[in-house]
Amino acid sequence: MGTSAPHIQSQVHRHRANWRGLVVVLVLAVVIALVGVSRMEALLRDLVSLSILRQVGIGIGLFFLILIPLTGIYSVVSQYAFWEGWLEGIPQPAELLQANARHEGGQQVRRFVIYLDGIHQQEKDHPPRVSAFLEELKQRLDDDHRLVRDLETYTFLPVALADDSGSAWFWRRLFHWQEHHPNGFVQLLAAVLVQANNVIKVGASSERRDGPIRNYELALKITLRLAEEGFDPSQGSELVLLGYSGGGEMAMGVADYLRSICKVPVQIITFCGAFSGDQLRERTKQVTLVVGTRDPVAAFGRIAYPGRLPLLPFSKWNKVCRQGLVQREVIAGMNHNGNRGPFSERYRGEVVGRVLDVLRQTERAG
Amino acid sequence: MLEQRLEQLVENTVVSLPEAHTGLVLVVLVGFSFSLSHVFSLLANRLKPRQILFHVLLDSLVLAAALLIASFINMVLIALHTQLLVEPKPLFNAIGAALAPGLFHVLVAAPYVSDLIAIAIWVLIHLNVITLVHLRFGLPYAEVVPLVTPGYVVALVLIALLFRSSWRRSYDRLASEFRA
Repeated sequence: MGTSAPHIQSQVHRHRANWRGLVVVLVLAVVIALVGVSRMEALLRDLVSLSILRQVGIGIGLFFLILIPLTGIYSVVSQYAFWEGWLEGIPQPAELLQANARHEGGQQVRRFVIYLDGIHQQEKDHPPRVSAFLEELKQRLDDDHRLVRDLETYTFLPVALADDSGSAWFWRRLFHWQEHHPNGFVQLLAAVLVQANNVIKVGASSERRDGPIRNYELALKITLRLAEEGFDPSQGSELVLLGYSGGGEMAMGVADYLRSICKVPVQIITFCGAFSGDQLRERTKQVTLVVGTRDPVAAFGRIAYPGRLPLLPFSKWNKVCRQGLVQREVIAGMNHNGNRGPFSERYRGEVVGRVLDVLRQTERAG
Repeated sequence: MLEQRLEQLVENTVVSLPEAHTGLVLVVLVGFSFSLSHVFSLLANRLKPRQILFHVLLDSLVLAAALLIASFINMVLIALHTQLLVEPKPLFNAIGAALAPGLFHVLVAAPYVSDLIAIAIWVLIHLNVITLVHLRFGLPYAEVVPLVTPGYVVALVLIALLFRSSWRRSYDRLASEFRA
């Protein structure tokens, strides 16, 4: 009985919005009355003339042409600050797993399956559909396999975006707007900005200049997490990087570094992956792509990263393909997300089944 | 005769270059923008802030010098081809202005879109210089392109060599993390 606090709050917001709208209309009416209707008409006609519209369009275009690279530059500044050791100290790879190397006993884990989420990720807790997917995967994995989840794929420090050094204030406000702002357009804009940030990180990972250091830092973060999960290089475990969408690019980027740091074979499985493949080395055990026939984003990845096209036969991706390290699993009718996506009720079980099939196949192959 | 003309040109250039304030300032600013676009390579090499600042300033001057050398090559070729009197000061000022798109070269530091931005800027610079020479000396475009392209190529090569070595050292440093 009674109304809840959020309900009252939304009613208050709606009333405020109504009052604001009324004030705006009254102000406009007064301005028009003072200036005169015919003069207003002439003014508006000038404002919407083609030349002014063109200038405004050019101005807006230039603004975004400069804003987008500046945003990209800002997003890589922190990765270099971390690399320099100006943020919390960068760990040395040799020290990361030493504690676990001395530990004896405990259940032996044959495979660590590390999940790297897509660009929608804003914090370590996954959205409900993704969580349901991971729960099903965890239940169906063999007992000697361990699922490593809740990794913040798009930050290099072991923190979420809301705690990211230098930009926490921005992200916290954005997340608040995304969840609680009464205006649906603002909510959508906030969601787009979060995803845009992660898209930039995917771009940085695939970039030939910034990519190596970025991927190395993410590999360190994953290794730290593996150490917490009890990974011991001497036990002969394997690593499986499971990447969704942009997480596929991150998986491709960190695989070789993880192999060098952890000294164990690394396998990659992506589903609906969008990646360049430029960082891949022939030392990766196997790469499996689970793709949906109706996934436009994965298809777009081949255009965004021309190295994956057959037109460039000497690209790293095509070299790895020629060596037979790439396997493709197709799921008919699956889209990139939503009700026909890999996390939907319809396709979740099938995607999990394909992942498990791949794991068993590679286990038999040794 | 040819030697005399070249001597005279070099003399005029040395004398009048310091007076070409607009061109010099623009060339140095463009060099600074080029240098800033690769500041991440200095960070990747784990230099200290003072070292980074020193390298940025030094690279700016080196890059400005590369652009001046390229401009001088253009001027020599134009002088040899046209038999006209080439006045260095106004030409350097004008070439400096033609390099103005290079002021945005700092945006090449952005990931993924860097190649697109760099290509667009370099194409614009080349088109500006071609148009400048075409209008100033009244030469047809077909004659202008082979006159200004060698200087342009020299500038590209010098700049590419400077930046390539910087990034290569940073990758060596990254590889050393695994050897440690």
